[in-house]
Amino acid sequence: MEKRIVRVGHWFGALALLGLGLWTVLVISAPPERIQGVVQKILYVHVPCVPPAYLGFILTAIGGLGYLRTRRAAWDRLALAGAEVGIVFCTLIVVSGPIWAKAVWGHWWVWDLRLTMTLVLWFLYVAYLFIRALAFGSDTARTFAAVYGIAGTAVIPFVHYAVRLAGGSAMHPSTPASGGTLPASMAYPLLAGLGTFLLVFLYLLTRRFEVAGLESRLLEAGGSSEDH
Amino acid sequence: MTGPRIALAVLWKDIRLDLRTRDRLGHMAVFSALVVVLLSIALPTPTAETRPWLPVLLWVVLLFASLLGLTRSLQTETEEGALAVLTLAPCDRGWVFLGKGAANLIALLGIEVWTAGLFSVFLGLAWGPALPEAIWAGLLGGVGLAALGTMLTTMATSARFREFLLPVLLFPLALPVLVIASRATAEALDGRSVPGLWWGALALYDWVFVVIPYLTFDYLLED
Repeated sequence: MEKRIVRVGHWFGALALLGLGLWTVLVISAPPERIQGVVQKILYVHVPCVPPAYLGFILTAIGGLGYLRTRRAAWDRLALAGAEVGIVFCTLIVVSGPIWAKAVWGHWWVWDLRLTMTLVLWFLYVAYLFIRALAFGSDTARTFAAVYGIAGTAVIPFVHYAVRLAGGSAMHPSTPASGGTLPASMAYPLLAGLGTFLLVFLYLLTRRFEVAGLESRLLEAGGSSEDH
Repeated sequence: MTGPRIALAVLWKDIRLDLRTRDRLGHMAVFSALVVVLLSIALPTPTAETRPWLPVLLWVVLLFASLLGLTRSLQTETEEGALAVLTLAPCDRGWVFLGKGAANLIALLGIEVWTAGLFSVFLGLAWGPALPEAIWAGLLGGVGLAALGTMLTTMATSARFREFLLPVLLFPLALPVLVIASRATAEALDGRSVPGLWWGALALYDWVFVVIPYLTFDYLLED
Protein backbone atom coordinates (compact mmCIF):
# COMPACT_ATOMS: atom_id res chain seq x y z
CA MET A 1 0.00 0.00 0.00
CA GLU A 2 2.70 2.46 1.03
CA LYS A 3 4.74 1.64 -2.06
CA ARG A 4 1.74 2.32 -4.23
CA ILE A 5 1.23 5.71 -2.59
CA VAL A 6 4.86 6.57 -3.31
CA ARG A 7 4.52 5.49 -6.93
CA VAL A 8 1.34 7.52 -7.41
CA GLY A 9 3.20 10.45 -5.83
CA HIS A 10 5.66 10.55 -8.72
CA TRP A 11 2.77 10.90 -11.14
CA PHE A 12 1.43 13.78 -9.10
CA GLY A 13 4.87 15.36 -9.35
CA ALA A 14 4.99 15.03 -13.12
CA LEU A 15 1.47 16.42 -13.53
CA ALA A 16 2.22 19.25 -11.09
CA LEU A 17 5.24 20.22 -13.18
CA LEU A 18 3.10 20.43 -16.30
CA GLY A 19 0.43 22.33 -14.38
CA LEU A 20 2.98 24.83 -13.04
CA GLY A 21 4.13 25.56 -16.58
CA LEU A 22 0.60 26.16 -17.78
CA TRP A 23 -0.28 28.21 -14.70
CA THR A 24 2.79 30.45 -15.12
CA VAL A 25 1.93 31.17 -18.75
CA LEU A 26 -1.70 31.92 -17.87
CA VAL A 27 -0.76 34.19 -14.95
CA ILE A 28 1.71 36.17 -17.05
CA SER A 29 -0.71 36.55 -19.93
CA ALA A 30 -3.70 37.48 -17.73
CA PRO A 31 -4.53 41.19 -18.07
CA PRO A 32 -3.81 43.38 -15.03
CA GLU A 33 -6.93 44.26 -13.10
CA ARG A 34 -8.31 47.72 -13.92
CA ILE A 35 -8.22 49.21 -10.41
CA GLN A 36 -5.77 47.05 -8.46
CA GLY A 37 -3.22 46.72 -11.21
CA VAL A 38 -0.57 44.05 -11.27
CA VAL A 39 -0.78 43.37 -7.53
CA GLN A 40 -4.07 41.56 -8.14
CA LYS A 41 -2.04 38.70 -9.62
CA ILE A 42 -1.03 37.74 -6.09
CA LEU A 43 -4.50 36.23 -5.84
CA TYR A 44 -3.47 33.57 -8.36
CA VAL A 45 -1.11 32.34 -5.65
CA HIS A 46 -3.09 33.26 -2.55
CA VAL A 47 -6.43 31.65 -3.39
CA PRO A 48 -5.12 28.30 -4.72
CA CYS A 49 -3.18 27.81 -1.46
CA VAL A 50 -6.39 27.64 0.58
CA PRO A 51 -7.74 24.16 -0.34
CA PRO A 52 -4.35 22.41 0.14
CA ALA A 53 -3.84 24.03 3.55
CA TYR A 54 -7.26 22.91 4.79
CA LEU A 55 -6.85 19.49 3.25
CA GLY A 56 -3.51 19.07 5.03
CA PHE A 57 -5.01 19.92 8.41
CA ILE A 58 -7.98 17.62 7.86
CA LEU A 59 -5.56 14.80 7.01
CA THR A 60 -3.71 15.54 10.25
CA ALA A 61 -6.85 14.94 12.26
CA ILE A 62 -7.76 11.83 10.26
CA GLY A 63 -4.23 10.47 10.64
CA GLY A 64 -4.29 11.19 14.37
CA LEU A 65 -7.60 9.37 14.84
CA GLY A 66 -6.35 6.45 12.79
CA TYR A 67 -3.15 6.28 14.81
CA LEU A 68 -4.93 6.31 18.17
CA ARG A 69 -7.27 3.56 17.03
CA THR A 70 -4.84 1.25 15.29
CA ARG A 71 -1.41 2.33 16.54
CA ARG A 72 -0.10 1.87 13.02
CA ALA A 73 2.79 4.17 12.22
CA ALA A 74 1.51 4.79 8.68
CA TRP A 75 -1.42 6.80 10.06
CA ASP A 76 0.98 8.89 12.07
CA ARG A 77 3.10 9.53 8.99
CA LEU A 78 -0.01 10.70 7.15
CA ALA A 79 -0.80 13.09 10.01
CA LEU A 80 2.74 14.45 10.03
CA ALA A 81 2.85 14.87 6.27
CA GLY A 82 -0.55 16.60 6.29
CA ALA A 83 0.51 19.06 8.98
CA GLU A 84 3.89 19.91 7.47
CA VAL A 85 2.66 20.37 3.92
CA GLY A 86 -0.48 22.14 5.18
CA ILE A 87 1.75 24.59 7.07
CA VAL A 88 3.72 25.33 3.91
CA PHE A 89 0.55 26.38 2.10
CA CYS A 90 -0.84 28.15 5.15
CA THR A 91 2.41 30.16 5.37
CA LEU A 92 2.03 31.13 1.73
CA ILE A 93 -1.52 32.34 2.44
CA VAL A 94 -0.43 34.33 5.48
CA VAL A 95 2.52 35.90 3.65
CA SER A 96 0.91 36.60 0.27
CA GLY A 97 -2.30 38.04 1.77
CA PRO A 98 -0.70 41.06 3.49
CA ILE A 99 1.36 41.93 0.41
CA TRP A 100 -1.87 42.26 -1.54
CA ALA A 101 -3.64 43.95 1.39
CA LYS A 102 -0.95 46.63 1.76
CA ALA A 103 -1.42 47.63 -1.84
CA VAL A 104 -5.22 47.44 -1.93
CA TRP A 105 -6.39 48.18 1.62
CA GLY A 106 -3.40 50.28 2.65
CA HIS A 107 -2.68 48.07 5.66
CA TRP A 108 -0.56 44.99 6.06
CA TRP A 109 -2.96 43.48 8.51
CA VAL A 110 -6.51 44.19 9.62
CA TRP A 111 -8.62 42.69 12.34
CA ASP A 112 -10.59 40.50 10.00
CA LEU A 113 -12.33 37.22 10.57
CA ARG A 114 -10.57 35.22 7.91
CA LEU A 115 -7.15 36.73 8.47
CA THR A 116 -7.27 36.04 12.17
CA MET A 117 -8.62 32.54 11.68
CA THR A 118 -5.85 31.67 9.26
CA LEU A 119 -3.22 33.02 11.61
CA VAL A 120 -4.62 31.05 14.53
CA LEU A 121 -4.64 27.92 12.37
CA TRP A 122 -1.03 28.57 11.50
CA PHE A 123 -0.11 28.84 15.18
CA LEU A 124 -2.07 25.69 15.99
CA TYR A 125 -0.20 23.57 13.51
CA VAL A 126 3.17 25.12 14.30
CA ALA A 127 2.45 24.06 17.89
CA TYR A 128 1.60 20.61 16.56
CA LEU A 129 5.00 20.38 14.87
CA PHE A 130 6.67 21.62 18.05
CA ILE A 131 5.20 18.70 20.00
CA ARG A 132 6.67 16.34 17.48
CA ALA A 133 10.01 18.05 17.50
CA LEU A 134 10.40 18.47 21.23
CA ALA A 135 8.79 15.34 22.64
CA PHE A 136 11.39 12.76 21.76
CA GLY A 137 10.18 11.79 18.27
CA SER A 138 8.90 8.63 19.87
CA ASP A 139 5.59 6.87 20.48
CA THR A 140 4.89 9.47 23.15
CA ALA A 141 5.27 12.28 20.67
CA ARG A 142 3.04 10.46 18.19
CA THR A 143 0.29 9.99 20.75
CA PHE A 144 0.45 13.56 22.03
CA ALA A 145 0.55 14.93 18.52
CA ALA A 146 -2.48 12.82 17.56
CA VAL A 147 -4.48 14.16 20.50
CA TYR A 148 -3.38 17.73 19.76
CA GLY A 149 -4.22 17.34 16.08
CA ILE A 150 -7.73 16.18 16.94
CA ALA A 151 -8.16 18.95 19.51
CA GLY A 152 -6.92 21.45 16.92
CA THR A 153 -9.69 20.46 14.55
CA ALA A 154 -12.30 20.66 17.28
CA VAL A 155 -11.21 24.19 18.09
CA ILE A 156 -11.69 25.64 14.59
CA PRO A 157 -15.44 26.42 14.72
CA PHE A 158 -15.03 27.99 18.16
CA VAL A 159 -12.19 30.24 17.03
CA HIS A 160 -14.36 31.26 14.12
CA TYR A 161 -17.21 32.14 16.46
CA ALA A 162 -14.95 33.93 18.95
CA VAL A 163 -13.34 36.10 16.31
CA ARG A 164 -16.74 37.01 14.89
CA LEU A 165 -17.92 37.85 18.37
CA ALA A 166 -14.94 40.08 18.95
CA GLY A 167 -16.11 42.18 16.05
CA GLY A 168 -13.72 40.93 13.43
CA SER A 169 -14.68 42.97 10.40
CA ALA A 170 -15.46 41.33 7.12
CA MET A 171 -13.01 43.22 4.95
CA HIS A 172 -11.81 40.09 3.28
CA PRO A 173 -13.69 39.53 0.01
CA SER A 174 -16.00 36.60 0.65
CA THR A 175 -15.62 35.16 -2.82
CA PRO A 176 -12.27 36.52 -3.95
CA ALA A 177 -12.83 35.11 -7.40
CA SER A 178 -16.15 36.99 -7.56
CA GLY A 179 -17.85 33.87 -8.84
CA GLY A 180 -19.12 33.96 -12.37
CA THR A 181 -18.33 37.62 -13.00
CA LEU A 182 -14.64 36.90 -13.47
CA PRO A 183 -13.62 37.16 -17.14
CA ALA A 184 -12.17 34.03 -18.66
CA SER A 185 -8.68 35.54 -18.92
CA MET A 186 -8.64 35.81 -15.12
CA ALA A 187 -10.68 32.72 -14.28
CA TYR A 188 -8.38 30.35 -16.20
CA PRO A 189 -5.18 31.19 -14.29
CA LEU A 190 -7.13 30.91 -11.06
CA LEU A 191 -8.59 27.53 -11.98
CA ALA A 192 -5.21 26.33 -13.26
CA GLY A 193 -3.71 27.48 -9.96
CA LEU A 194 -6.33 25.62 -7.93
CA GLY A 195 -5.68 22.39 -9.81
CA THR A 196 -1.92 22.75 -9.92
CA PHE A 197 -1.48 23.64 -6.26
CA LEU A 198 -3.58 20.64 -5.34
CA LEU A 199 -1.24 18.45 -7.41
CA VAL A 200 1.80 20.07 -5.80
CA PHE A 201 0.21 19.41 -2.42
CA LEU A 202 -0.40 15.75 -3.23
CA TYR A 203 3.14 15.38 -4.53
CA LEU A 204 4.70 16.96 -1.43
CA LEU A 205 2.38 14.96 0.80
CA THR A 206 3.37 11.64 -0.71
CA ARG A 207 7.07 12.56 -0.66
CA ARG A 208 6.90 13.60 3.00
CA PHE A 209 5.02 10.40 3.73
CA GLU A 210 7.76 8.44 2.01
CA VAL A 211 10.56 10.28 3.82
CA ALA A 212 8.85 9.72 7.20
CA GLY A 213 8.73 6.00 6.37
CA LEU A 214 12.44 6.00 5.52
CA GLU A 215 13.24 7.85 8.75
CA SER A 216 11.46 5.29 10.86
CA ARG A 217 13.18 2.46 9.00
CA LEU A 218 16.50 4.11 9.70
CA LEU A 219 15.63 4.34 13.39
CA GLU A 220 14.58 0.71 13.48
CA ALA A 221 17.85 -0.25 11.82
CA GLY A 222 19.65 1.20 14.83
CA GLY A 223 20.44 4.61 13.42
CA SER A 224 21.32 7.21 16.01
CA SER A 225 19.42 10.09 14.49
CA GLU A 226 17.31 10.34 17.64
CA ASP A 227 20.29 11.36 19.73
CA HIS A 228 20.63 14.85 18.34
CA MET B 1 -12.39 1.69 44.11
CA THR B 2 -14.63 3.29 41.58
CA GLY B 3 -13.68 6.06 39.18
CA PRO B 4 -15.40 8.96 40.94
CA ARG B 5 -13.79 8.01 44.22
CA ILE B 6 -10.36 8.01 42.60
CA ALA B 7 -11.06 11.40 41.04
CA LEU B 8 -12.04 12.73 44.45
CA ALA B 9 -8.92 11.18 46.01
CA VAL B 10 -6.69 12.90 43.41
CA LEU B 11 -8.53 16.18 43.93
CA TRP B 12 -8.25 15.98 47.71
CA LYS B 13 -4.57 15.09 47.48
CA ASP B 14 -3.87 18.12 45.30
CA ILE B 15 -5.87 20.45 47.51
CA ARG B 16 -3.99 19.27 50.60
CA LEU B 17 -0.69 19.63 48.77
CA ASP B 18 -1.61 23.19 47.76
CA LEU B 19 -2.64 24.11 51.27
CA ARG B 20 0.40 22.51 52.85
CA THR B 21 3.15 23.84 50.60
CA ARG B 22 1.37 26.98 49.34
CA ASP B 23 4.01 27.00 46.59
CA ARG B 24 1.70 27.06 43.67
CA LEU B 25 -0.97 29.42 44.95
CA GLY B 26 1.71 31.72 46.36
CA HIS B 27 3.53 31.95 43.04
CA MET B 28 0.35 32.59 41.11
CA ALA B 29 -0.90 35.20 43.59
CA VAL B 30 2.38 37.11 43.69
CA PHE B 31 2.69 36.95 39.92
CA SER B 32 -0.77 38.39 39.27
CA ALA B 33 -0.27 41.05 41.98
CA LEU B 34 2.98 42.13 40.32
CA VAL B 35 1.43 42.35 36.88
CA VAL B 36 -1.62 44.26 38.12
CA VAL B 37 0.54 46.76 40.01
CA LEU B 38 2.73 47.13 36.96
CA LEU B 39 -0.34 47.76 34.80
CA SER B 40 -1.77 50.27 37.25
CA ILE B 41 1.50 52.25 37.18
CA ALA B 42 2.11 52.01 33.45
CA LEU B 43 -1.43 52.49 32.13
CA PRO B 44 -2.88 55.96 31.75
CA THR B 45 -6.04 56.58 33.76
CA PRO B 46 -8.76 54.53 32.06
CA THR B 47 -11.19 56.59 30.04
CA ALA B 48 -14.58 55.56 28.72
CA GLU B 49 -12.83 54.43 25.56
CA THR B 50 -10.10 52.37 27.16
CA ARG B 51 -12.19 50.91 29.99
CA PRO B 52 -13.36 47.91 27.88
CA TRP B 53 -9.69 46.89 27.61
CA LEU B 54 -9.50 46.13 31.31
CA PRO B 55 -11.44 42.82 31.22
CA VAL B 56 -9.21 41.66 28.37
CA LEU B 57 -6.12 42.54 30.41
CA LEU B 58 -7.66 40.73 33.37
CA TRP B 59 -8.07 37.56 31.35
CA VAL B 60 -4.60 37.79 29.88
CA VAL B 61 -3.17 38.08 33.41
CA LEU B 62 -5.25 35.04 34.40
CA LEU B 63 -3.99 33.09 31.41
CA PHE B 64 -0.36 33.73 32.32
CA ALA B 65 -0.97 33.06 36.01
CA SER B 66 -2.65 29.77 35.12
CA LEU B 67 0.39 28.82 33.05
CA LEU B 68 2.57 29.21 36.13
CA GLY B 69 0.27 27.11 38.27
CA LEU B 70 -0.22 24.43 35.66
CA THR B 71 3.48 23.86 35.12
CA ARG B 72 3.88 23.47 38.85
CA SER B 73 0.96 21.07 39.24
CA LEU B 74 2.47 18.31 37.14
CA GLN B 75 6.03 19.04 38.17
CA THR B 76 5.26 17.81 41.67
CA GLU B 77 3.92 14.59 40.20
CA THR B 78 6.97 13.91 38.06
CA GLU B 79 9.57 15.01 40.62
CA GLU B 80 8.53 12.43 43.16
CA GLY B 81 7.68 9.78 40.59
CA ALA B 82 4.05 10.06 41.61
CA LEU B 83 2.88 10.10 38.01
CA ALA B 84 3.83 6.45 37.65
CA VAL B 85 1.65 5.64 40.65
CA LEU B 86 -1.24 7.65 39.24
CA THR B 87 -1.12 5.59 36.06
CA LEU B 88 -1.63 2.47 38.19
CA ALA B 89 -4.99 3.72 39.46
CA PRO B 90 -7.42 0.83 38.96
CA CYS B 91 -9.94 2.76 36.90
CA ASP B 92 -10.43 4.54 33.63
CA ARG B 93 -7.68 7.15 33.63
CA GLY B 94 -10.14 9.77 32.52
CA TRP B 95 -11.07 9.97 36.18
CA VAL B 96 -7.50 10.88 37.10
CA PHE B 97 -7.80 13.72 34.58
CA LEU B 98 -11.05 14.88 36.17
CA GLY B 99 -9.42 14.88 39.61
CA LYS B 100 -6.36 16.82 38.46
CA GLY B 101 -8.50 19.16 36.36
CA ALA B 102 -10.80 19.90 39.30
CA ALA B 103 -7.80 20.69 41.52
CA ASN B 104 -6.43 23.04 38.86
CA LEU B 105 -9.87 24.62 38.52
CA ILE B 106 -10.11 25.32 42.24
CA ALA B 107 -6.65 26.92 42.27
CA LEU B 108 -7.55 28.95 39.20
CA LEU B 109 -10.86 30.13 40.67
CA GLY B 110 -9.00 31.29 43.76
CA ILE B 111 -6.60 33.27 41.58
CA GLU B 112 -9.51 34.69 39.59
CA VAL B 113 -11.13 36.07 42.73
CA TRP B 114 -7.78 37.45 43.91
CA THR B 115 -6.97 39.08 40.56
CA ALA B 116 -10.49 40.49 40.15
CA GLY B 117 -10.06 42.07 43.60
CA LEU B 118 -6.70 43.52 42.61
CA PHE B 119 -8.20 44.97 39.45
CA SER B 120 -10.90 46.72 41.43
CA VAL B 121 -8.38 48.10 43.96
CA PHE B 122 -5.65 49.20 41.57
CA LEU B 123 -7.49 49.81 38.31
CA GLY B 124 -10.89 50.82 39.59
CA LEU B 125 -13.01 48.05 38.08
CA ALA B 126 -16.41 48.29 39.79
CA TRP B 127 -17.83 44.79 39.96
CA GLY B 128 -21.07 45.68 41.87
CA PRO B 129 -24.07 44.88 39.64
CA ALA B 130 -21.92 42.98 37.14
CA LEU B 131 -21.00 40.38 39.73
CA PRO B 132 -23.46 37.56 38.87
CA GLU B 133 -22.49 37.52 35.20
CA ALA B 134 -18.82 38.05 35.97
CA ILE B 135 -19.00 34.98 38.20
CA TRP B 136 -20.43 32.97 35.32
CA ALA B 137 -17.67 34.20 33.02
CA GLY B 138 -15.07 33.32 35.63
CA LEU B 139 -16.54 29.89 36.22
CA LEU B 140 -16.99 28.89 32.58
CA GLY B 141 -13.70 30.48 31.51
CA GLY B 142 -11.98 28.81 34.45
CA VAL B 143 -13.29 25.37 33.50
CA GLY B 144 -12.02 25.85 29.95
CA LEU B 145 -8.57 26.99 31.00
CA ALA B 146 -8.25 24.29 33.67
CA ALA B 147 -9.34 21.49 31.32
CA LEU B 148 -7.11 22.62 28.45
CA GLY B 149 -4.23 23.28 30.79
CA THR B 150 -4.44 19.92 32.50
CA MET B 151 -4.46 18.10 29.18
CA LEU B 152 -1.60 20.12 27.72
CA THR B 153 0.67 20.03 30.80
CA THR B 154 0.39 16.27 30.72
CA MET B 155 1.69 16.41 27.16
CA ALA B 156 4.36 19.01 27.79
CA THR B 157 5.66 17.58 31.00
CA SER B 158 7.64 14.80 29.42
CA ALA B 159 9.03 17.01 26.68
CA ARG B 160 12.21 18.97 26.55
CA PHE B 161 11.76 22.76 26.96
CA ARG B 162 8.36 22.26 28.58
CA GLU B 163 8.24 25.86 29.85
CA PHE B 164 8.41 26.95 26.26
CA LEU B 165 6.17 24.25 24.84
CA LEU B 166 3.21 24.77 27.17
CA PRO B 167 2.38 28.36 26.12
CA VAL B 168 2.84 27.48 22.47
CA LEU B 169 0.35 24.64 22.87
CA LEU B 170 -2.06 26.46 25.15
CA PHE B 171 -2.49 29.88 23.55
CA PRO B 172 -4.14 28.93 20.24
CA LEU B 173 -6.50 26.53 21.98
CA ALA B 174 -7.27 28.99 24.78
CA LEU B 175 -8.15 31.77 22.36
CA PRO B 176 -11.92 31.09 22.24
CA VAL B 177 -12.09 30.92 26.05
CA LEU B 178 -10.15 34.14 26.40
CA VAL B 179 -12.18 36.04 23.82
CA ILE B 180 -15.64 34.90 24.92
CA ALA B 181 -14.96 35.18 28.66
CA SER B 182 -13.38 38.63 28.40
CA ARG B 183 -16.16 39.85 26.11
CA ALA B 184 -18.78 38.58 28.52
CA THR B 185 -16.98 40.23 31.44
CA ALA B 186 -16.82 43.51 29.50
CA GLU B 187 -20.51 43.37 28.64
CA ALA B 188 -21.44 42.68 32.26
CA LEU B 189 -19.26 45.56 33.50
CA ASP B 190 -20.93 47.83 30.99
CA GLY B 191 -24.31 46.95 32.46
CA ARG B 192 -25.52 45.08 29.40
CA SER B 193 -26.83 41.56 29.60
CA VAL B 194 -24.63 38.88 28.07
CA PRO B 195 -26.26 37.06 25.12
CA GLY B 196 -27.20 33.47 25.95
CA LEU B 197 -25.41 32.27 22.83
CA TRP B 198 -22.07 33.35 24.30
CA TRP B 199 -22.65 31.31 27.42
CA GLY B 200 -23.76 28.41 25.26
CA ALA B 201 -20.64 28.57 23.10
CA LEU B 202 -18.36 28.82 26.12
CA ALA B 203 -20.11 25.95 27.90
CA LEU B 204 -19.93 23.80 24.76
CA TYR B 205 -16.23 24.57 24.41
CA ASP B 206 -15.66 23.57 28.03
CA TRP B 207 -17.60 20.39 27.44
CA VAL B 208 -15.53 19.50 24.35
CA PHE B 209 -12.28 20.03 26.23
CA VAL B 210 -13.41 18.04 29.22
CA VAL B 211 -14.53 15.16 27.01
CA ILE B 212 -11.48 15.03 24.68
CA PRO B 213 -8.92 14.68 27.52
CA TYR B 214 -11.27 12.41 29.46
CA LEU B 215 -11.35 10.02 26.51
CA THR B 216 -7.68 10.34 25.58
CA PHE B 217 -6.04 10.61 29.00
CA ASP B 218 -5.44 6.89 28.86
CA TYR B 219 -3.11 7.45 25.91
CA LEU B 220 -1.48 10.51 27.46
CA LEU B 221 -0.54 8.80 30.71
CA GLU B 222 0.40 5.54 29.10
CA ASP B 223 3.60 6.82 27.49
